[in-house]
Amino acid sequence: MNTHEKLRGKVFDVRRFSTHDGGGIRTTIFLKGCPLRCVWCQNPEGLSLKSQLIYLENQCIHCGRCTTVCKNHAITLQEGKLCIDKGAADDWEEAIDSCPAACLTMDSKSYTVEELVKLTVRDAAFFRHGGGITLSGGEPLFQKDFAIALLKAFKEEGIHTAIETSCYVEQNVVKDALLYLDLIYVDFKVFDKNKHKEWIGFTNDKIKENIRFILESNKKDQVIIRTPLIPTMTADKENISAIGKFITSIYPEVKYELLNYNPLAKAKYNLVEREYCFAENPRMYTEDEMNEFRQAARNVGVKHLIIEV
Amino acid sequence: METLIKTKRVALLKEKMMAEPRYVSIEQALIITKTYEENQEKPVIIKRALALKNALLQMGIAVEPEEKIVGNRTIGVRHGVVFPESGSSWIDREFETLPIRPQDKFNVREEDIINFKKIIAPYFKEKSLEDIIRTRYGTEIDEIAKVVKINQKDHAQGHICPDCEKWLTYGPEGLKQEAIAKLQSGTKDQQDFYKSVILVMEGTQAFMMRYHDLLVEKAGQETDAANQVNMREVAVICKKLCMNPPNSFHEAVQSIWFLFVILHMESNASSFSPGRMDDFLYPFYKKDMKSGSIDKQKALEIIECIWLKFNQIVYLRNSHSAKFFAGFPIGFNIAIGGQDENGNDFSNELSFLFLKAQEHLGLPQPNLSVRLHKGTNEPLLKEAVRVVAKGSGMPQFFNDEAIISSMMNFGVSEKDARDYAIVGCVELTSQGNNLGWSDAAMFNLNKVLELTLNNGKCLLTGNAIGPDLGNLMDYKTFEELEDAFAKNISYFIDKMILACEQVEKAHIDILPSPFLSAVIDNCIQKGKDVTVGGAVYNFSGIQMIQVANLADSLAAIKLLVYEEKRISKEELLKALQNNFEGYEIIRTMLLKRAPKYGNDVAYVDELGAKWARFFSEKLSHYTNYRGGRYHTGMYTVSAHVPMGENVGASSDGRYAATPLADGGMSPVYGRDIAGPTAVLKSVSLLDNHLTTNGGLLNMKFLPEFFKTENNIDKFAKFLRTFVDLEIPHIQFNVLRKEDLLAAQKDPEKYRSLTVRVAGYTAYFTELAGELQNEIIARTSYGDL
Ligand code: SF4
Ligand code: SF4
Repeated sequence: MNTHEKLRGKVFDVRRFSTHDGGGIRTTIFLKGCPLRCVWCQNPEGLSLKSQLIYLENQCIHCGRCTTVCKNHAITLQEGKLCIDKGAADDWEEAIDSCPAACLTMDSKSYTVEELVKLTVRDAAFFRHGGGITLSGGEPLFQKDFAIALLKAFKEEGIHTAIETSCYVEQNVVKDALLYLDLIYVDFKVFDKNKHKEWIGFTNDKIKENIRFILESNKKDQVIIRTPLIPTMTADKENISAIGKFITSIYPEVKYELLNYNPLAKAKYNLVEREYCFAENPRMYTEDEMNEFRQAARNVGVKHLIIEV
Repeated sequence: METLIKTKRVALLKEKMMAEPRYVSIEQALIITKTYEENQEKPVIIKRALALKNALLQMGIAVEPEEKIVGNRTIGVRHGVVFPESGSSWIDREFETLPIRPQDKFNVREEDIINFKKIIAPYFKEKSLEDIIRTRYGTEIDEIAKVVKINQKDHAQGHICPDCEKWLTYGPEGLKQEAIAKLQSGTKDQQDFYKSVILVMEGTQAFMMRYHDLLVEKAGQETDAANQVNMREVAVICKKLCMNPPNSFHEAVQSIWFLFVILHMESNASSFSPGRMDDFLYPFYKKDMKSGSIDKQKALEIIECIWLKFNQIVYLRNSHSAKFFAGFPIGFNIAIGGQDENGNDFSNELSFLFLKAQEHLGLPQPNLSVRLHKGTNEPLLKEAVRVVAKGSGMPQFFNDEAIISSMMNFGVSEKDARDYAIVGCVELTSQGNNLGWSDAAMFNLNKVLELTLNNGKCLLTGNAIGPDLGNLMDYKTFEELEDAFAKNISYFIDKMILACEQVEKAHIDILPSPFLSAVIDNCIQKGKDVTVGGAVYNFSGIQMIQVANLADSLAAIKLLVYEEKRISKEELLKALQNNFEGYEIIRTMLLKRAPKYGNDVAYVDELGAKWARFFSEKLSHYTNYRGGRYHTGMYTVSAHVPMGENVGASSDGRYAATPLADGGMSPVYGRDIAGPTAVLKSVSLLDNHLTTNGGLLNMKFLPEFFKTENNIDKFAKFLRTFVDLEIPHIQFNVLRKEDLLAAQKDPEKYRSLTVRVAGYTAYFTELAGELQNEIIARTSYGDL
């Protein structure tokens, strides 16, 4: 039965007690890697497939132990500050093991399907009351073989499965994954091709095709299309209308959700040493503003807007 | 759905109550002293009965014109009552400091101090419970004080659920008649017992009548017509209750309140709990609703009036005790919902009205508890979560699936177990027939581990307080260390039991309680006071303090010293002896490189469960002074702070004299970083027989977790799983702004705190300062 015995996946977080993104109490598994590069990405640590060393500076007691064990001499203490040359080494095991504060860690872990299922079913008692697992990322279907094997394994355990995907993958991947999914969240961020390329790095043809495919499949009622509202970019009535038109033209009963802007993402960018798209962090939208956006979707015929009350 | 409001009357009464200053009262103490002086030759139980009767006849009483429920044990509300039979020496020592002590302050009148010192203290010197225990067994109690805190040394026991149903059925006249019928037969002791019951019931009737008279008098002077009507109405009820059992809902509630006032006047003790009030008041409610004499709003007003009353009795503790039980917890615990006697789901309109009253008033009393089980109806569960969301930390939740069977295994009948209620905070009891002595002692397991690691010597003082079985360096294997630990636990259990027996014996000698006994089965039948074992069930509860720290400490030693050998025995011992000064790296490793209880890691959770089991098993071999069994609980009110003061640096990385984990089953603050589901999983590893005396799991959440109906639903599901996992208790602390400000200052303690914004969860303490501020700004839960 263990066809995927050697299959390993890279996971950057397993979060229990997820109360959004699906019914009941869930465990969300964040798979590493994403082909896209949204400038506002909420999980910048999940983009690269490569494992990175993470250093949690606020936990460090500057004892210097890691500097003495690191064979590559990639870690040094200079004037009380720890300097890590992340490019200088691949194997940080000894440094990580030496740290009394556990503040050196890899940003992701590699698991087999079995290991991950075992880890997740610890909350099976919670899943029984309408909960389950959600695959997120990165783009969870980027590690396609692993993701599909994982979903299959969860279905074999009788666990409800959900996914959050950008759908920027080959259609046969989507097709295979659908077999084992109970709930599918698809991000549709930007309708305009050029803007999509500008902000996300690629055009959206593939995404549109896949959305069409899913909304024409027998799982179409288990799909929720979502647009994260990013100020000055996706949060634009024209964009919302265009998306709304597109999806209702495929399936008039489609479910659609607008996600409020999340100002918390910015803080993560310090950890991964990248630039966030906003120097000045915008605020979240008020309920009134949200309703205006929702109205734009309703105006083009969206009947089922998901609104959390 | 109809909207039920908090009426003007209730708002006004609440306002008046909150404005009252808190004073110490010696009025009853003077009456008691005089009665004792005049009746020197009589048996104690008769003296006690006469003293109560005289208090019922003579204490000043007062009413508010708006009150629907009247009665109090002092003329002012929220007065701290001096009770010389149980303890007067401590008051003698602390009287002047009561207004300025750090915890639970009271105002004091100059002349009271003088009278107390002149009249009361001299008479009760060497006669009070406190002094007698001190003389008989004080040295031994002191010797083990750092490990075991023996309770009930200077006050009556309390912690009991009276038989409210019986009281409502018979009233004082009926109970008096029951005693009269028994008077002729029996031994001298039995006859004294019955005589004393008759005396206190006579006092009770007179007390009720005095309220009638006062109300009639005041109504005559009242200018407001509505108030006049109200006072006359309540007067009629008081008069009726002297001779007859109640008929209407209003009468029944008034009758219950009289019961609790008088219980407090007799014992001056904490935690007389009404129990399943939605059960025993329901017949009255149903009848009145049917006849149309009340509607829901009227019923709610009456309920809210007694809810206010529950806040008018506070309890004066000595300054040491006040640290352990801070904030005057008086323990009017009311249990709603749960299974009925056949195991079916039970709740009714009263259950919902009680929740509504809690939501409206948001006061610390009563301590509202919801019993859950697999079949709990969704509306009750959801409504309870909505009330929790209001932020008062109530109601708390108990789990029939965990509790009923373990009570039965412990020897409670199926019928009584299904009908269980809670006394005080979380102590489990059958109703109306159980002197559970649930707060007999607290046993500090962490101190015993400290002594085991350090030749029986206290790390704080260097004094030898336990047997010298060696120190960490002597134990070649972890098993050797465990052997020594086991021996030390047994040594202190032996000493604790002897002390508990002395305390119980002193209660028999000094504090027989005929009024209480009249409402506890089978005291009247046996002609035996509760203190001598008149109740059907006679347990004693010992709290294990604190398994979370113990598990973390043992896991750190086992893993880092014996298995991975990251730390040498010598280094660890030195680090502990020096309170980690100069050993910061060791402390960091203990904190960060060993698994912690509360994260669903079997390695550590099992160590905790194992030692709790060991302790509980040892204890089960002893019998208490009333012939009943000992059992264990895992809860503290605020005792984790003073108990922590007694413990030196510990191997879980905790500094000397700092608090232990709060709650009892809860993980150490901030160490549960795998989320709430992992906490429940860890806690569920503790066998239910470890907490037949009560367990407490405290979880903290931000108010935004409860903001949407969606999340209320998730919480309901979380609680359903809590039921499935058979955890006995859970309560939710909804954090306020102040808590978040504290978290900014002291992130270590709040590491487990998560926040959510627009579909994204993060650890609060790991957020950047500006974002923390933003979240704090959003967390605007003002005072209720
Ligand atoms: S070993 Fe850990 S705590 Fe010490 S300096 Fe290195 S990163 Fe900091
Ligand atoms: S698709 Fe999602 S994970 Fe990928 S870059 Fe965009 S926001 Fe980030």
